[in-house]
Amino acid sequence: MAHRHIRRGANEEQDAAQLKLGEEFQNAHCLFISELNILLEAQRESKDHSGENRPQTNVLQKTVSYVQSFSRFTNRDSVREVRGLLAKDSSLSQFEIAQLANLCCDDSEEAKALIPSLHNKIDDDRLQELMNQMLTIKKFQG
Amino acid sequence: MFFLKDLSHTISLHPSFFGPNMQTQLVGKLYADVEGTCSGRFGYIITVVLIHSIGKGKILPGSGLAEFKVKYQAIVFKPFKGEVVDAVVTTVNKMGFFADVGPLQVFVSSHLIPSDMRFDPNGNPPCYQSEDQIIQKDIHVRLKIVGTRIDATEIFAIGTIKEDYLGVITPN
Repeated sequence: MAHRHIRRGANEEQDAAQLKLGEEFQNAHCLFISELNILLEAQRESKDHSGENRPQTNVLQKTVSYVQSFSRFTNRDSVREVRGLLAKDSSLSQFEIAQLANLCCDDSEEAKALIPSLHNKIDDDRLQELMNQMLTIKKFQG
Repeated sequence: MFFLKDLSHTISLHPSFFGPNMQTQLVGKLYADVEGTCSGRFGYIITVVLIHSIGKGKILPGSGLAEFKVKYQAIVFKPFKGEVVDAVVTTVNKMGFFADVGPLQVFVSSHLIPSDMRFDPNGNPPCYQSEDQIIQKDIHVRLKIVGTRIDATEIFAIGTIKEDYLGVITPN
């Protein structure tokens, strides 16, 4: 009984709003949806190229169509630029960086509502500046 | 959230595969074993991107099978409580609606839909409708995951759109 209680407690510890991702993912490398789109595309091309016969799973198919519809940054340069821009701010965690790039909010108030862990971490002006730069990159991507 | 994660997997290989093509066999078996699987610990393993190393085989006494420890890097998808994600609506009924986030299915109960959105069973397709928004099949919504349930082979999540900045996404 005691054992079960401990297990349950460990499970409830995970909460993205407080940036608790569990021990497996606390320091794992987060991918943007846009990055994943480019990565999967490259993988598909190399597969076609080498003629490798690797079955495509249902999970992969669903993911491919998901990242295609929600990829905000469409070319490699703009994705790299956004990654560079957000990585400059050392106070942000991997998870927050990826959420900012994936959700692509318009203003700092929206970003803080959707990513609660940003509260007290970064001031509104700085966050707004990041958003503006991101939107500019998005607007002028090829 | 999608992650790039280093993982390891132990493959047992039948003796009939021992021989010159063993490496190819092992790689093929790794893909078949792990891609598309789902566990509570790592979430969905979407695809293997890189194989770091294939360990030395160890013959298991009694059966003759050999065990290889393979270290690889994979793209995984794991949903977290409190995470905000974009999703595609798949089915709508009077209890709420289902939406897909890649491989994950999220259910949004009618209690977690803003009260000004009414279910319209006569619509074609059926939908939730308010004065300025409509939720029906194939619409994109932004939702927040409020809880997950982990099965042996699948994860189910419950979401909400009853908060600020959540709901239908207008394409721009």
